This record gives sequence, C-alpha cells and structure tokens, in this order.
Amino acid sequence: MRKFMKLYSIEQKLAFRSLDGIVFGIIMPVGILFLIAIIAGGKAAGDSGYTFLQSAYASLIAVGICAGAFMGVPLTITDYRDKKILKHFFVTPCNPMHLLGTSMLCNVVNAVLSAVAVTVVAMVFFDYRMAGNPWYFMGTWVLTLVSMFSIGFMLASLCRTVKTANAVTSAVYFPMLFLSGATIPFELFPEGLQKVASVLPLTQGIRLMKAASMGVEAEKVGGIVILLFVITIVCSFISVKTFRWE
Amino acid sequence: MSKCIEVRNLTKSFKGRTVVKNLSFEVERQEVFGLLGHNGAGKSTTIETLLGLKKADSGNIAIFGKEPRKHRKEIFEKIGVQLQASNYQNNIRVDEICQEMSVLYQDPADYRELLKKFKLENLEKAPVNKLSGGERQKLSVVLALIPKPEIIFLDELTTGLDTAARRDVWKQLKQLKQEGTTIVLTTHYMEEAESLCDRICLIKDGAKVVEGTVEEVVSKSPYDNLEEAYLWYMGEEITL
Repeated sequence: MRKFMKLYSIEQKLAFRSLDGIVFGIIMPVGILFLIAIIAGGKAAGDSGYTFLQSAYASLIAVGICAGAFMGVPLTITDYRDKKILKHFFVTPCNPMHLLGTSMLCNVVNAVLSAVAVTVVAMVFFDYRMAGNPWYFMGTWVLTLVSMFSIGFMLASLCRTVKTANAVTSAVYFPMLFLSGATIPFELFPEGLQKVASVLPLTQGIRLMKAASMGVEAEKVGGIVILLFVITIVCSFISVKTFRWE
Repeated sequence: MSKCIEVRNLTKSFKGRTVVKNLSFEVERQEVFGLLGHNGAGKSTTIETLLGLKKADSGNIAIFGKEPRKHRKEIFEKIGVQLQASNYQNNIRVDEICQEMSVLYQDPADYRELLKKFKLENLEKAPVNKLSGGERQKLSVVLALIPKPEIIFLDELTTGLDTAARRDVWKQLKQLKQEGTTIVLTTHYMEEAESLCDRICLIKDGAKVVEGTVEEVVSKSPYDNLEEAYLWYMGEEITL
C-alpha cells in the first residue's frame, strides 16, 4: 500500500504538471457551464420542461469522465508501453499492475475534481439545485465512469503505438464529446442526429445521469444499466485478453 | 568464485526467425561479462530472455540458481537493470524517478548519494528530458544501482555517448567492479570490452562464436588486437 501511494503521489504530480487533464477535464466543462448558463441557463430546453442548465449539468459532469476514459487512460498506457516503462517494472520486484493502477487512479481523481468543480460553480454562481436524489446520481456517475474507463482500457490494449492511440482517441473522444450532449445541448440536435448520437455509449451514460439528476424516470433505465454493465464486461475482457506490456 | 548466472542451450525465435541459437554461458560472481556482436546479433534478446522478459523456446536459465520467471519478486530485489534505449515519463524530474524506483525495493540505496557519486547531484530537480545523453545514461546506471544490486545488467549503455562521457561511465563501472558488483553488459565497442570485461562472449546470428578473456579471444585469432580479431571471428573482410 505504501508502494502504491508513493507511486500514486508521483504520478499525480506528473498528471497535474502536464495540464492536459486539467484543461480538458476540468477547465473545459466549467467554461462551457459558464457559457450555457449565461446564454441560456434559465430557458427551457426544447419541450422537455427543464432549463438548459438542468439538462446540461449531467452532460458537463460527463466531460471529466470522457477526458479520463478516452484521453488520459489510453494515452498514458500506450505512452508508458512505448517508452518501455511497463517493461522496466517487470525487472523489479514490483508488479507493473501497480503503475497502471496509479495511472487509472489519477484519471479517476481528475474526473472527481471535474464533477466537484462543475457542481460548485453551478450551485454558487447559477443557483443550481439537483432535483433528483444525489446518491442515486452518484451511482449513475460511478457506473458511467467504470464503463467508459473500460472502453479506455480496451483502446489502450488495442492500440499498439502512441501514434495510433492518438488518432484513435481523437476519433473517439471528439464525437463522443460533441454528440453526447456534453458540449452542445442534446435537445438542440435535429432528430436524425439525436438518433446517431444515441448509438454512442457515453450518450447512454449521460441519459442515465440526466434522468437521475432531474429526478425523472428515464425511458428504458433498466436497459441502459444493463447496456453499461455489458460494455464494462466485454471491454474489460477484450482489454485483458489483448493487453501487451511491450 | 561461484556462478551467479547460468544459461544452458538457450533458443529463442520470433515469427520463425531464430534470434538466439543454442546459447550457453556462465557468469561468475564479481566478474564483468561482456556480450559482443553486431547490431541484430541477438544481444538484447539474450539479455531480455535471461531476465525473463521474454519466454525462452528451449533451454535453461538460472540467476542465483533460480529461474527468473518463477522467482521474479525474490530475484529482482538484488538485480539492477538498464534496458536499451529506455525512456521515462513525460515531465518527470530526476529525484521523482529515483523515488519511484526506490519505493519498489525493500532496502534501497540512498539515491542522493548515488547521484553525488555520478556527479548528478545538481540535477536532482531537473526534468529528465532536459538531461544530455551522457547525463541520462548516468542516471540509468543510478537507477540500476538503487536496489543495491549484486548483479547489474547494462544493455548498450554507452551507445550514442561521446568519448568523454563514455570514459566517465567506464570509470564508474570500474569502481563498481572493485566494490564487487557483478556486471553483465552488451556492447559493440571493442575498446569498451577491452577496458572493462573480465570475460567476453562473441555472438553472431544468435550463436556463440567464441568465449574467454580478451587475451584468450585475441590469441585464438591471427590478429593482435580485439577489434581485428572480432571482425575476423565475425567473418568480415579486414581491410587496412
């Protein structure tokens, strides 16, 4: 445990130093929150009967998860593999899983900080109050986080080099970010695009978190929960099966 | 003296190409053993298979009398390794990578003293990627020494260093040798082998060509220096 915490503290310092996680995971969602709240915060979103801020809150919370799952996790792991850092851990008495664990923890911490920052800003500056049950919301957050991170691990296993990882993570991250309603409110999309966006796993996670935050029964909640569980199991399985240390 | 490394009939192939062929050698405690050969001769593969990073197709390997793949935790408490062309995390500083390594061992050396020994103490807070080639290689030796190793493995440690930096590293390695550390190194610089190694093993296409002290290897060839003897063993034409 002492080993793990020491490794974690150094890896966390490196993560903060690189700024990527902070910019993409924390500053960006908070910035978008300001924009949405100032432009359209109190207005009703589509014909949903909720304000844009209420609707956007869950999506913005998901940005931190998205940054960790589709950028942080796969890029760090492929980078460490390319640099033979994981390989070097094999010639020490320590298990390389420790290092992977710390790098995952850094991304989870970033996602938590992001969620806290968005929530505090929304509550302090824009008088946001969650209509739904916060505990239920946290449950949906954890499920979304776990399932999205499992996709990230799968990408890390499937991409052999940092170069492919860069291309693949961009190809996954940006569509997920823009189409899932995490940046542009989902309600503003034309119906066709909403259908396309619904295919993305993050959209389903956000739908679940949105329903929980607004305290409404989402359609097919059970189906979404099962879907996210299946994604977690399948992606974890693939990532374990195809993982390479070098 | 007693053996600390034994390699018996080691064979390893990748995708149908045999990279290491039936290779056997032993390393005694407190000796400096050099594995010599051209680029692609199988030096790194031998080291990596020996360390258990790659699984041997056939043959036996023992370090301290034990198979490294099965006794990883125990064996690697007392082994320091520098892998060829290793890299470090982005933005990491010298002291941070040293701390990260130190925490992995039960009884690590004081990295500050090691940095001082290698004249890197002023760079403790410097980012690793700002170091010069020589400083980086010295750092990789420092990291390999953190376990207070009985054996250190150095894979092409001095490749890419200028003459002064190379000599500087040699000096440190000679001191380690005096302190009783067993050193296994790979190189393609004959001067380095002559200056450091008690015994050398020349390999070509993964198979052993000749093994012995530098004098023995040279005297078995028609030439009187290691460089020409090496080329002769490798079957290269010697001009000049």
